[in-house]
Amino acid sequence: MMHCTMDDLLALRAGEASVWARKHIETCAACRAELDALYQRVAQLKALPALRPPRDRWPVVREALRGDRARRRRTWGAWGGSLAAAAALAGVLLVRPNHAALHAELAQAKEQSATLEDALQRYDVDGRVLSGRAAALVADLEDRIAVIDGALTLGGGRTDAPAQDAQLVKLWQQRVDLMQRLVTVRVTRARYVGL
Amino acid sequence: MTVALAVPDVLVARAKAGDQAALEALFRAFETPVYNLARRIMRTPEDAEDVLQETFLEVVRSIGQYRGEGHLWGWIRRIAATKALMRIRRDHLRAAEPLDDEPAGRPGSQVGANIDLERAFEHLSDTSRSVVWLHDVEGYTHEEIAELMGKSVSFSKSQLARAHARLRRLLGEGAHA
Repeated sequence: MMHCTMDDLLALRAGEASVWARKHIETCAACRAELDALYQRVAQLKALPALRPPRDRWPVVREALRGDRARRRRTWGAWGGSLAAAAALAGVLLVRPNHAALHAELAQAKEQSATLEDALQRYDVDGRVLSGRAAALVADLEDRIAVIDGALTLGGGRTDAPAQDAQLVKLWQQRVDLMQRLVTVRVTRARYVGL
Repeated sequence: MTVALAVPDVLVARAKAGDQAALEALFRAFETPVYNLARRIMRTPEDAEDVLQETFLEVVRSIGQYRGEGHLWGWIRRIAATKALMRIRRDHLRAAEPLDDEPAGRPGSQVGANIDLERAFEHLSDTSRSVVWLHDVEGYTHEEIAELMGKSVSFSKSQLARAHARLRRLLGEGAHA
């Protein structure tokens, strides 16, 4: 007597079986038992206990994330540095005094930011250990800088109106302030490690 | 293993904004289901750990692309499955083995009647384990598995049939088919 193949049984389970298989399973006890066993195997597989990771991998992911953010900051720093010169030139060329003053402030903030990025790179040596408190502070400052960078991305290309320029200057100045604090934390840590 | 994790929208929104605490909360919520999926598919715990790490590196880097369509677990699970299958494909290419080869067996392991299902499952080939787990446990369709594996739907179906036939033999079940 011909019985259902495993393909037939799987098709029966999926509701896609041939007419022959559907008729056969009604009359063949052996094939019905095979189909039951298939259902049971799958139910047992689903009921296997969850296997848990033996080690915590979050620190590795977190460090990679921080590395990404640091790289983005450096990109911004380089971008800011190169634009600082362009903005300074634009400031000289601009006729309107108010606009010129804003551009000068903008150029100054960007230049400060770029300088701080350079300083940060000197202290941001991989492999050094942060205390928990310093790590939390660094993470907080990096998060806040990332938020500002996001805002700069959205508004950075639109410098056609004084109000927008003023907002841009404010954002860059906030970034400089946070960068200064970040450098301070890194320097403190470097001195501490150096003891 | 059934996963019914409800993640608050506000947590996802914070994670998308780059909030590190929210990203860690997502990692903690999904690390076990991701590791479990990877461990069931991969041959060693170390490989599964690497898949876990690679999955979450991608999650934290591309969470901004998650549009909220479907359950977040579905999005993360797809990344995990893709990473696991890529790793299997790469390992097989390095070893110059066809993807659907049955494993030679592990030293000291006795394959025969009455071994339990978990051990029998481990004796399947990497590809068979992947197809069985993704289809029967995670609920992927053959079309989705074919897309993930870069294979045809019939390949996925035949792998599932071969895997179940082998499981039945390993478990000492059945007499025909």
